[in-house]
Amino acid sequence: MNFTLLLQELVIGITTGAIYALIALGYTMVYGIIELINFAHGDIFMIGTFICITIFDQFGITASSAPRGFSLIGLLLLALLGSMLICAVLGVVIERVAYRPLRNAPRLAPLISAIGVSLILEDVGKLWKGITIVSFPQIFPQITYYIGPVSFSSVDILVLVVALILMVGLQWMVSYTRTGRAMRAVAQDREAAALMGVNVNRIIAITFFIGAALAGAAALIWGLKYGNTNFTLGFTLGLFAFTAAVLGGIGNLVGAMLGGVLIGVIEALAALIPDSSATGGFGLPHGGAAWHEAIIFVVLILILVFRPSGLLGQQTPEKV
Amino acid sequence: MPTASMLLPTRDSRALLIKWIVGLLVPVMVFTFVWSGEAIINNVLLGLINPGSTALQGPVLIEAAIFIVVFYATVIALTGYLVAADSGRRRTIDLWIDIVVFTLVPLFLVINFGLVVGAALCAIIWPAYFFVRRRVRQARHYTPPPPLKNLEVSDAEQRAILMSRATTAGFWFAFAFAVVWLIVDLIYFFVGQLPTVLLIWVVIRTILLPIAGYFLGRLGGAVALRRTLAAKSNGSKSDGNVATNGDGRRVSKKRQLESLSTTRAREEAKDLVPNDLPLRSTGAQRFYLILIVAFVLFYPVLDPFLFGSGTAGRLAGYGDAGYYVILALGLNIVVGFAGLLDLGYVAFFAIGSYAWGIIGSTQLTNVLGQAPVNPHILSALFWPMLIVGALIAAFWGVLLGAPTLRLRGDYLAIVTLGFGEIVPIVFLELDKYSNGPNGIVGVQSPSFPGVDWSVITPVPYYYLILALIAFTIFANVRLRDSRLGRAWIAIREDEIAAASSGVNLVNTKLFAFGAGAFFSGIAGAYHAAKLGGVSPDNFSFGDSVIFLAMVVIGGIGSIPGVIVGALAVYAINQLLLAQLDSLATDPSNPLYAVHNAIVHFIPGFTFDNIRNLIFGIILVVIMIFRPEGLIPSARRRREFHAIEEDHEIEVGALDVVPGAPGFETEVRVE
Repeated sequence: MNFTLLLQELVIGITTGAIYALIALGYTMVYGIIELINFAHGDIFMIGTFICITIFDQFGITASSAPRGFSLIGLLLLALLGSMLICAVLGVVIERVAYRPLRNAPRLAPLISAIGVSLILEDVGKLWKGITIVSFPQIFPQITYYIGPVSFSSVDILVLVVALILMVGLQWMVSYTRTGRAMRAVAQDREAAALMGVNVNRIIAITFFIGAALAGAAALIWGLKYGNTNFTLGFTLGLFAFTAAVLGGIGNLVGAMLGGVLIGVIEALAALIPDSSATGGFGLPHGGAAWHEAIIFVVLILILVFRPSGLLGQQTPEKV
Repeated sequence: MPTASMLLPTRDSRALLIKWIVGLLVPVMVFTFVWSGEAIINNVLLGLINPGSTALQGPVLIEAAIFIVVFYATVIALTGYLVAADSGRRRTIDLWIDIVVFTLVPLFLVINFGLVVGAALCAIIWPAYFFVRRRVRQARHYTPPPPLKNLEVSDAEQRAILMSRATTAGFWFAFAFAVVWLIVDLIYFFVGQLPTVLLIWVVIRTILLPIAGYFLGRLGGAVALRRTLAAKSNGSKSDGNVATNGDGRRVSKKRQLESLSTTRAREEAKDLVPNDLPLRSTGAQRFYLILIVAFVLFYPVLDPFLFGSGTAGRLAGYGDAGYYVILALGLNIVVGFAGLLDLGYVAFFAIGSYAWGIIGSTQLTNVLGQAPVNPHILSALFWPMLIVGALIAAFWGVLLGAPTLRLRGDYLAIVTLGFGEIVPIVFLELDKYSNGPNGIVGVQSPSFPGVDWSVITPVPYYYLILALIAFTIFANVRLRDSRLGRAWIAIREDEIAAASSGVNLVNTKLFAFGAGAFFSGIAGAYHAAKLGGVSPDNFSFGDSVIFLAMVVIGGIGSIPGVIVGALAVYAINQLLLAQLDSLATDPSNPLYAVHNAIVHFIPGFTFDNIRNLIFGIILVVIMIFRPEGLIPSARRRREFHAIEEDHEIEVGALDVVPGAPGFETEVRVE
């Protein structure tokens, strides 16, 4: 196999994986704190991409009329903050309406509620932008850099920088701030945290706020990187992101980042598997790209067989 | 024979009789006169008197006749049962409101919107009603009225009183019904809509009904009394020697109760007579079961009367609803009984579908590399393939279960989800076997001598799916009550405790996956045969989610609940929401105005665009109103609404339980 190609795919994988990781953080935070698979999270991301497009449309910006220099940075910051804020508010509203009434319900009731919210958001997206693929204005200048034979673009750097800043920021917040400590306390034992004077409902709302804000940020960089979106995007990406969260060990922030990058890399590497008919039987029918989803899940299953709590998840001894 | 003095109600039972006779008579009259009950009866009679005069002939006529007899007889006997079984701790007005919500509202909805859609609307209305009722009662500090009369049913004299009450109820119910019917028929006669020949029937019926009511009421009373405990004096002295006094059955029931755990005993105690919640007692459920079985069994005959033309299309639709029921019941084994969250259940459905799809079509030629020797016997292979396909699915279920054994909670869910994603991709990409994205077409329908299985005659499919559902329900009930089923429930509640008590976790979990997959394999084979093809689009994660929604909405672990949940979700998703656009074209429909108003703001708006939106809202609303599901299993019900009023009533019922001294005190501590 061509080593350059491998490295090239790795670059692609890491960039995509960074976006997965940002979305996965939302899943893992929510799961860590209320043990709910928030199926609506991927759709919040999708709504985020639409918000970004709308913001750009409001300024009448297309790929050709994009500003340069500081006004570009200002515009991107505006889109980033707008998307993050609206998504965050959306996340909090969803928590308030669909999950909080079910706080003490059986485990699967909020899951079904989450699925309901996911369906609602998908149709909102469909009503908003239609069923076709919506193109995202490519306003960030595309400059291609080379390290040896491996190429990467300026957008890739932007994606990695934004993702890294947000992840480090989140990690710092959870580790060192008062709110972060309260979040960890609620995740560990909700009742005990409440007894210690933590406002549990507020902390859960904040968790949703932050998780959804990260999805909003992921939405912008996804749009800049891939240039298109669709109302079903949230579902597909949400599935991968959730898988990433589980792969890294659900509830574990670093695990989610690791899982996201890993999934992105696996997905990119799968594309290298050749078509069985072309190369005389070696490989898979229709090539590896058609199978990437299956390969991701096979890897996931294999990893979970040997590490049942994910890569970085703690092997908690069972309580009797 | 009845004498006048025997049948005259005493003063203290008069209120009770009025409560139940009015309560039951109104829905029965709505069915008979507002809907098509009378049309069926008159057609049956005309067919009997004058063969060939109506649409009903031969076996169809007999089926309709049997249904009518069974239906009315059951309702009259039910009246007798309910009057005997009622302890009077529900106010008449509460009861009537309940009956309106649970029988009249569904009847009118079904009459107006069709069977499945009507039922689906009920699935939305009922949780809301429960929610509102609970809130209202909490707000008003509701306390149930005291028992009507402290009946010691163990006393022979009191038993006789109960029996006579039931008899009286049956008689007066039938009498009232006969009188109303007579009046209605006379009006019809004078208007000229009733054929003169039927006047003989009117006379016979008016005489016959009260007499039948007398005996059916006795029957209902007898059913109620069979569920009483033994006499107190009897019970305390005959401990140990069961069969001596000929009361063996009842004594053993009491001893069973004593040996049961408190919570289980509370469930059992609900079936004592008199009962605080007679409508929900298992005795009454037997009657409902008879009604439902009769209705479902004879439905193809009744349909033209109940809903007019278009029977074939409706029956075909119900055939589809049927395999969702099987799928939901299968998933219920994994999720409901064993508590293993499965997000990839659609995989086994796909395996079952492709099993018959490949064997029962020309695809077999591609797979084998040569044409099958005897292609025309292929369709007869459907019957063995039903089982083989299910076994293949079960095999894969066990295979999937194996890597998940060490996982718990949502790690398990994601692995099942992964499997649910992998399997359809495999079928999509391995086009040598599955014909890839085009799917398999021309799959054989089943064959059976003397039965026409073509698509335009849905009746054989209706009975096939009915038989499959019956088998599935039977197997589910037996599994649940078996040693294996108890092991499932044990690991659901607490894995470590179960393992410590000697439950083999590996085998038990694998059996759960295998059994769940088995039923989806059956559903898959049926699906392929009925559709005549297999398409890879039918097996997405979204479908797995829908199956899960059916189980959770119905009530996790509860077999009747899951059936209702499957029908409700199917009806809401596939029938009701799909119909909105065509309903909105009718100017007399309120949706017409709604549609016009929205189109004003959003050009090109159709309800189809917001189908998932509405469905999502319905899911959220149902979950918020009734998180434990529409019909929760007894075990689950106890876990919720701990402060609810029903709970207090149940404790009241326990006062009736005689026996072990520690028993009562144990219950009162709460």
